[in-house]
Amino acid sequence: MVSRSFTLFQPVNNHFKQRKMKSIFVCALAALLMFTSACSRKVTRIDPAETPDISGSWNNTDSRLTAEEMISQVLAANWLNDHNTAKGKKPVVIVGMVTNKSHEHIEAETFMKDLERSFINTSKVGLVQSGKKREELRAEKADQQTNATASSLKKFGMEKGADYILQGSINSIVDAFKKKKTVTYQINLELTNIETNEVVWIGDKKIAKYVKN
Amino acid sequence: MKMSSTFESANKLSTMKRILLSIFCFTAVVTASAQENTLSPDQNPNYKVSQDKYTAQKETLMATMNTTVQDTYKAYDWYVAKQERRQQRIDDRRERRLYRLQNYGYYYNPNNQLYDPYGDFYRYSPNRFRYRGWRHGW
Repeated sequence: MVSRSFTLFQPVNNHFKQRKMKSIFVCALAALLMFTSACSRKVTRIDPAETPDISGSWNNTDSRLTAEEMISQVLAANWLNDHNTAKGKKPVVIVGMVTNKSHEHIEAETFMKDLERSFINTSKVGLVQSGKKREELRAEKADQQTNATASSLKKFGMEKGADYILQGSINSIVDAFKKKKTVTYQINLELTNIETNEVVWIGDKKIAKYVKN
Repeated sequence: MKMSSTFESANKLSTMKRILLSIFCFTAVVTASAQENTLSPDQNPNYKVSQDKYTAQKETLMATMNTTVQDTYKAYDWYVAKQERRQQRIDDRRERRLYRLQNYGYYYNPNNQLYDPYGDFYRYSPNRFRYRGWRHGW
């Protein structure tokens, strides 16, 4: 009687065992997948000149395009010749403040540095240091007054005064509905004569993007 | 007699010296002030007012020089707003669940207080209208 009942329930037990094994296998597979996916970071080096658009936000390509456009505009504009004719020497520029009034965090230094580099490389425009770096220079000069040898110390009051100040602003317009979005950035740089307040050059770069989520 | 003449000449000399020194000082002061007040052609005679004003606050005004001032705004993006609403719902639910666990325990159900051992304390109280008002209903 006992053995009969045992044989009767045997297939049912096997079925439960199989199901249990299956679930363990599935769990193990899932754990393995999770582990491998967590370790699957892949880094590929790309050309900085060809940064792909990923999220549609401001990126390296935008910065580069802005710098290229601004450099070509500022070095080809009339203010340079006008200054050379009037003063007989190359103009000296100081970099002022750039205000980011767009909807994203944008650091203007990335394209401003390209612009500054072009001033120096072309030797058409002189550049003087400003901001925190200038403060550091003056602090170093102050330190030299008491620590450097008399023949090597640099004097105060011998800095070159800038003729023009370069200031700028970044603006953006966003138009979005459902999963579609257009973003337009407008970057403006202005060069102003420090003595007369006359704006001698305004450069602009517009970047428009269509983003579909 | 000779002594007095020598004394007089010395006195005269010192007086002359004093006069010359004061003339020199006066000339120096006048020259300095004239130099300071010399205007360039077409320069505004009140330039000193502005110069003093901006010299006093130049440190503050130049603090942002050669930097990017972030004056950003939040643009409305339908898709992002939807995602934010969804995240807010998830966060709210989680917060409610935590609050419930911390304050009532596992058996609290705010949607079914009738069968809840910890629920509505005043529901069957003889003074229920005193606490909840008659408009509250069952």
